[in-house]
Amino acid sequence: MASSPAETSEVEVAGLSLRVQRQVEVASLRYFDTTDRFVAAVREFLGSPMPAPQHALRVDAPPNGARFILLWRSPTETLLLSYDPAAIAELDERVASEVDGCMVVQTGGMRVLRVTGPKARDLLLRLGSVTAIPALGEARSARLAELQVLTACVQAGEYLLLVDRVYANHLLGWVRATVADF
Amino acid sequence: MTSSRLAAPYGQRIDRSRQLSFEFNGRSMNGHPGDTLASALLANGVRLVGRSFKLHRPRGIYSCGVEEPNALVDLGDGATRTPNMRATQVELYEGLAAASVNCWPSVEFDLGAINSRISALLPAGFYYKTFKWPNWHLFEPAVRRMAGLGRASGECDRDRYEEAAAQAEVLIIGGGLAGLSAAVAAAEAGADTVLLASSQALGGALGWQSDPEIDDLILRARRSGVRQMTRTLAFGIYDHNLVCARETLHSPAAHAPAGGVLRERLWKIRARAVIVAAGSFERPMIFPNNDRPGVMLAGAAEKYAHAFGVACGQRVVIAANSDSAYRVAASMLAAGIDVIALVDRRPQADIGADGVPVRTLMSAGIAKVGGTRAVEECTVISTELDGVRPERLQCDSILSAGGHAPAVHLHSQAGGKLRWLEESSMFVPDGPAPGVWSAGACAGLFSRDAVASHAAELGLALARGLAPPPAAVGGAGRSLAATHVPGLAGKQFVDLQNDVAVGDIGLAAQENYRSVEHLKRYTTTGMGTDQGKTSNVNALVLMGEYTAREPAEVGTTKFRPPFAPVTLGLIAGRRVGALYRPLKILPAQEWHRARGALFEQFGSWVRPSAYPRANETLESAAQREAGAVRRTAGVLDGSPLGKLEIFGPDAAHFLDLMYVGTMSNLIPGQARYGLLLNENGIVVDDGIVARLGPQHYWVNTTSAGVERTAAAFEEWLQCEYTSLRVLVTPVTSRWGNVTVAGPRSWAWLESAGFDPALAPGSMGHMSIQESRLDGLPLRVLRVSFSGELGYEINLPAEHTAALLERLWARADEFSAVPYGIEALEIMRTEKGFIHIGTDTDGTTLPQDIGFARALERKAANFVGRRSLLRPAARDPDRLQLVALSPADGRTLLPVGAQLAAALPPTQTEGHVTSSYWSPELNCPVALGLLARGTQRLGESVRVHHLGKVIDARVVKAPFIDPKGERLHG
Repeated sequence: MASSPAETSEVEVAGLSLRVQRQVEVASLRYFDTTDRFVAAVREFLGSPMPAPQHALRVDAPPNGARFILLWRSPTETLLLSYDPAAIAELDERVASEVDGCMVVQTGGMRVLRVTGPKARDLLLRLGSVTAIPALGEARSARLAELQVLTACVQAGEYLLLVDRVYANHLLGWVRATVADF
Repeated sequence: MTSSRLAAPYGQRIDRSRQLSFEFNGRSMNGHPGDTLASALLANGVRLVGRSFKLHRPRGIYSCGVEEPNALVDLGDGATRTPNMRATQVELYEGLAAASVNCWPSVEFDLGAINSRISALLPAGFYYKTFKWPNWHLFEPAVRRMAGLGRASGECDRDRYEEAAAQAEVLIIGGGLAGLSAAVAAAEAGADTVLLASSQALGGALGWQSDPEIDDLILRARRSGVRQMTRTLAFGIYDHNLVCARETLHSPAAHAPAGGVLRERLWKIRARAVIVAAGSFERPMIFPNNDRPGVMLAGAAEKYAHAFGVACGQRVVIAANSDSAYRVAASMLAAGIDVIALVDRRPQADIGADGVPVRTLMSAGIAKVGGTRAVEECTVISTELDGVRPERLQCDSILSAGGHAPAVHLHSQAGGKLRWLEESSMFVPDGPAPGVWSAGACAGLFSRDAVASHAAELGLALARGLAPPPAAVGGAGRSLAATHVPGLAGKQFVDLQNDVAVGDIGLAAQENYRSVEHLKRYTTTGMGTDQGKTSNVNALVLMGEYTAREPAEVGTTKFRPPFAPVTLGLIAGRRVGALYRPLKILPAQEWHRARGALFEQFGSWVRPSAYPRANETLESAAQREAGAVRRTAGVLDGSPLGKLEIFGPDAAHFLDLMYVGTMSNLIPGQARYGLLLNENGIVVDDGIVARLGPQHYWVNTTSAGVERTAAAFEEWLQCEYTSLRVLVTPVTSRWGNVTVAGPRSWAWLESAGFDPALAPGSMGHMSIQESRLDGLPLRVLRVSFSGELGYEINLPAEHTAALLERLWARADEFSAVPYGIEALEIMRTEKGFIHIGTDTDGTTLPQDIGFARALERKAANFVGRRSLLRPAARDPDRLQLVALSPADGRTLLPVGAQLAAALPPTQTEGHVTSSYWSPELNCPVALGLLARGTQRLGESVRVHHLGKVIDARVVKAPFIDPKGERLHG
């Protein structure tokens, strides 16, 4: 995800930058099967299929021009990220009548943190396990700082961490304590 | 023992050009960089280092490594004090301060040594047989004071600890010849290889002295990309090749910065293959007074000479049962140390005895050790009738060489089996453990060339995914299983740390303890900080002798992590202070802070319990707030309320299955209270289910129960009701919740711009509407937990503070207040509304809390229904929820107080679950669980609390507004 004015810098040390993406829109796409009509409607809107299990997709040029990130979360859920509230609202409206899936807006319920820098990997290794570190194009459900966090890598050199908003302070506190000993 | 530094080339590990000063028991001493505390103490001539656990016998340094049973010290002082550190493992640093443990007033004169005088009264298991009369509690304080060795600091540890994760294709534990050989072979074959070494330098047992082969391997390891982690002790192997290791980053230095240092790191390493090359421990000889300072392991004396340039004595006697003693004898002689005699229990030696110019006494043993706080002499006897005669030998040190015990702990932790190797009297791995192979001495292989080649083959094979070479053993020579001489007078210690002597093992056998696990618990052998690294094999051999069994038949105790003690700080890691546990923060936390909220933890949430004004207590603030809500209006941040969206064509049917109530007949816009049961019929949660659309529901759960409820829903869907097409999406954090309650609540909302369609006249109690406020999407529920007209306004969480502020701007107009959890609890108790987990427990069924009719009304199946048909569920004596009122109308009934009709002594018939002073009624109100409660309306009960009895009466709930007129507006 490209840097945006809507992000705030939370942690800046040599070799590591962690920024909170304040205005990113997040939605849960829920479905029973990837062959359902709901998924087809989403695919049509985004111009992209849903990501494969444990994968992340960046959709840079969908038919409507907005940019999205799709993160696989479970066999019945994919998270949709975008800086374009209008595009999210449009998709919400378009799939509202579907009966075999639904879109649940989660904006404000999840914090999206962007970690970059050569020490980003080292940070994740100290917050959790090796399995928390996604390869490029991967999204993983991981345990970081005792929290359930979705980690994803859609661009080389940076990681996205998605955590429940109520726990974001805890995660940031753990990060600050860890980088203090870098 | 007159210890002294040996001249170079002895002392490979120390830097003689620099000196470090340190203190031991308040006495200033000097050492060198590279010294351990133990080597520095020996170099300073210190013999008496500590006192034993039970008998407080004087003890000296016994080993050179992690197996040390004696030389425990408390390190540092104040917040940095660390108890029970092994002096053999503590790297010396400038300003180090250490003190002996388990002695008072001093290690030289210890009052606890009286135990040694009465040791005949303190055999194994004495504490199981005594302290019974008149009762244990009489003795408990004294025993607790005496228990333990070192003392932990009472201050907060200011140092920091962290965790880190790593992975490897091949992980090698041990930096000796075997470990290095395996690592080099694996890395040169292209495998991602990690090597863990507990010491600061690689080389293991051979690294104590200059060794070209080791130097070459270290160089090759570096070149081939082996990730070397020194000062990193692997202490546990867990499922699926997870290895946990402690990396020591900083010693607890005396002059550490005020903010502390990052002292240790807990590594969690996953590896495709693990090679354990952890070496072996020397097995001690057992003879009378074998615990005197000056008796030490022979291999340790050799290491102290070579690595630290310390002579552990000038006139030594070697008590032997193995061929390695001859190598040590030669080594001591070469260092200029006088070897008075080598006392060998065996009739003949196998390897290495030839050419060692030392007086050798075969079939001989040590019968007596002279000296109290240090070895001064020993008496040697023949163990055969025609052997040598008793002879006194003047010596200042006795070196003990009873063979070797491979360090099979990690192999065993990984699930590996052991077998007894008769010729060398040792347990060795019986093949590899799953994913874990052993190499070198810990595999029972002691021949240097064979170790190197076998380890290299193993490393290569595991790197390439080939079949590993078969396990190989040998090279240890022949040693007797028994290392002691039966029938000698005086205490012959098996476990030095716990004062377990040969006689204690015999007593355990006499009392028919045959299992080695029972032997361990009864005698305490193998317990403590060293976990019997030097005593286990001797103990089980003795057990075999006493019970006429072979050691293989006796077996070993289960080896459990940690291999060596680790600090609690290491286990806690970053989970201290504010990071101790993840706490949930309200979206409008700062707004509440600005209103003077008093925050408390409710479950994992940090919430306002009240908003005390000047001179108000929490209680008085809650009274004021509850009163204000009853009279006018109040606002509560209900954001923690659990929120789930249930979607799908089978959502209605699914919710019917999950809840006691029927949810499928709700029409969109309606809401209903629901009780959630587990499969045992126990009430586990409650909440409101509201229908948003034909296949779309909104579910409120309790604040603490949402994760549990969501997980239960998923489990039922994924495991039992797999044909139902239902999606459960937790949205608790997405939606903030502002709850407005009180007779003027709607007027307050209306003035703030809320849609008139939400007015009580348009929107009935137990309904939901999707609305908007300045374009902001809202989901508004007409529900009430206070008993007053109430609105729960759900809105995007990030706008919660703005809505609170918008209402607050008009609060004065309506005499409205913010209220916290305490006021809410008062009001719901006045109304007789239950709080799951407070008014219910792990036995409460729906009919116990007034839902019998709801059960009768519902014909369809639901989770827990079948369990409600059990006879126990229909027991008339079950605890049932009742309202309670004190007879005097003034005394608050304590929560948790027991209920009974009769005076003591009597059996409890229930307890008080909720109790508050009602500002509305100006008297106490309470709820409780009481046996046959629903049939006892109007009866008197006695409330028993800490010796006091309060008379109370079972009354009808609710205490206020029995017709429910207020909540309908």
